[in-house]
Amino acid sequence: MIDLYNPTEEHGALRQMVRDFAEREVGPQAAASDRAEHFNVELFRKLGDLGLLGLTVSEAYGGSGMDAVAAVIVHEELSAQDPGFALAYLAHSMLFANNFYHNANDEQRRRVLPKVCSGQWIAGMGMSEPHAGTDALAMSTSARRDGDDYVLNGAKMWITNGAINDTELGDCFLIYAKTSDNRGRSLSSFLVEKGRPGFRLGQKIKDKLGMRASPTAELVFEDCRIPVTNRLGLEGESTVHMMRNLELERLTLAAMSLGIARRCLEIMNQYATDRHAFGQSIRNFGQIQKYLGDSYAQWRAGRAYVYDTAARLSLESQGNRMDSDGVKLFCATMGKDIADNAIQVLGGYGYVGEYQVERLWRDAKLLEIGGGTLEAHQKNITNDLRRVGVLR
Amino acid sequence: MKILVSAKRVSDPNARLQVAKDGKWIEGDVEYVMNYFCENAIECALQIAESQDGVETVAVGIGDEDTARFIRQGALARGIDRGIYVAAEESEIDSDLIARIYEGVVHRERPDIVLIGKQAVDGDSNQVGQLLAEYLGWPQATFASKVELQGDEAIVTREVDGGLEVIAVSLPCVITADLRLNEPRYASLAGIMKAKKKPLEELEIDDLDLDDADPKVKVVALSTPSGRKAGVLVKDVDELIAKLRGEARVV
Ligand SMILES: Cc1cc2nc3c(=O)[nH]c(=O)nc-3n(C[C@H](O)[C@H](O)[C@H](O)COP(=O)(O)OP(=O)(O)OC[C@H]3O[C@@H](n4cnc5c(N)ncnc54)[C@H](O)[C@@H]3O)c2cc1C
Repeated sequence: MIDLYNPTEEHGALRQMVRDFAEREVGPQAAASDRAEHFNVELFRKLGDLGLLGLTVSEAYGGSGMDAVAAVIVHEELSAQDPGFALAYLAHSMLFANNFYHNANDEQRRRVLPKVCSGQWIAGMGMSEPHAGTDALAMSTSARRDGDDYVLNGAKMWITNGAINDTELGDCFLIYAKTSDNRGRSLSSFLVEKGRPGFRLGQKIKDKLGMRASPTAELVFEDCRIPVTNRLGLEGESTVHMMRNLELERLTLAAMSLGIARRCLEIMNQYATDRHAFGQSIRNFGQIQKYLGDSYAQWRAGRAYVYDTAARLSLESQGNRMDSDGVKLFCATMGKDIADNAIQVLGGYGYVGEYQVERLWRDAKLLEIGGGTLEAHQKNITNDLRRVGVLR
Repeated sequence: MKILVSAKRVSDPNARLQVAKDGKWIEGDVEYVMNYFCENAIECALQIAESQDGVETVAVGIGDEDTARFIRQGALARGIDRGIYVAAEESEIDSDLIARIYEGVVHRERPDIVLIGKQAVDGDSNQVGQLLAEYLGWPQATFASKVELQGDEAIVTREVDGGLEVIAVSLPCVITADLRLNEPRYASLAGIMKAKKKPLEELEIDDLDLDDADPKVKVVALSTPSGRKAGVLVKDVDELIAKLRGEARVV
């Protein structure tokens, strides 16, 4: 069926394939991975066999050459089963692979992307720091030029796929660092591989509220020497790289909320029929109808907004910040609210793990923080709106 | 060697279907999926093609326009070489006509093996493979759970009541696939992208010069299953056994 959500037959086939895979292989392991805070690396590598890890990378480097709508489809379907697993996918394929592909030169692409697209290497991206999150340009990690090298010092915090288990670093990272104090042209980005002297795992972040199937870690750089050939693009150019990639990041995080919302709706819809109280199915009660009706309408609104934005988001250029912030602002809270409604409809059963909505609610909360807080989106949208007179 | 496989779409077994007003077909926003047993047939053909050189695989789909999409995305995207789509009104064809259409395609293609699903999970007729073998005068091996090729024979393990039967059939032959034959692969994204470039021939039933193209079965009425009655909770095992004996008469 050709529609807003599956604009071509290939998009429809992609959705069907990911949905089949997610239902058969991702869903069944979700609760256990959450409980054990386990990143399922074996399952993750299977995404490489399916061609999903290099989704937006050109075929010439081992990718699949697809667009933003395809990225939304994959995140929506994976997240309907396991948002934690989907977040690890996002860090690898959107934050690293897509960013690297657009900003690296041919030699760098050949060296790195085939290993990342196949899943041989697990990748992540480091922007946030212990003392700088929303105010990213205030980061303190520095890269000082020394001959044919840069010397990296500092730490990155909250890095998804930073470690693949309690002790082992992920394989490669795209790290933003300051190469000058010239605000606006202060940031450069570097490829940093596991094994470089001076690069080590800091703390492994434990005890997260949700997204526990995705590993999170601190990365530490102490006089870590990186060859100039690992710098992406020109020195000082990477603020633009960062802004451009944040658009896709926020869009796909919003897509994860769509998956969470859909799953929670399915679960509460079924339960509202099956559960009886006062001699009837609870879906006959007006207050339950408010949960179901509101949830459905909010999900549909969010879904239309996300796919409409995806259709207009070019991976090559920036310029969609208002709506990439907008979809995440709307959908993050929408997903969390619908998960909350589902817990309420399920009563006591909603509050425990067996019915999944408890886990989905915990996972949903991250989307109000990661990749930009709600407040950051409100700030950006308001800034950008200043330049707009008439809304069309 | 050439293998013909079936690629049939079926209404999603998990969807809630509605009977159309005339009581003879289904209506509404029906979701379709690939027939599970066709997926097994496709996987079997792909495994044979991967294990030896010079095997061409061809998927055949018969039905409404959307069937072509299932040939592309269910068969060609998984690795089948090319497709043949025969246009037909799904509400107006029966198992016999489908077998005759296959017969017509076999005369054009001259395959060594026709590998098709043992039945479609919506119509549940389980007739096409058997009828086709009869019309072609070829040996048949139905309900296959294992297929091995040896020279000009196929050694097929069949699932029969209470066990397995191993038979050898000479090629050319018709084999129908059962669920335990294999675990169908997912189409990879590369496969999905390649599928649209693979040849897909479109035919009308008239192109096949069938001697007899009339359906023999008329659907008189369709109805949805009556809702399941509520269960009863029993106090203990004794009461359960009493009920099984007295009311259900099963022990
Ligand atoms: C599970 C997880 C995974 C993550 N993965 C990654 C990753 O892979 N890579 C990466 O680089 N980062 C990652 N992050 C970091 C994430 O992007 C940051 O947490 C986020 O950007 C917020 O930054 P912060 O935590 O430093 O909060 P802060 O920026 O310190 O914000 C604290 C509070 O102040 C508010 N605030 C800040 N500035 C303003 C303002 N101007 N106006 C109004 N309110 C404001 C915020 O909205 C928030 O409520 C991850 C985080 C988590 C929890």
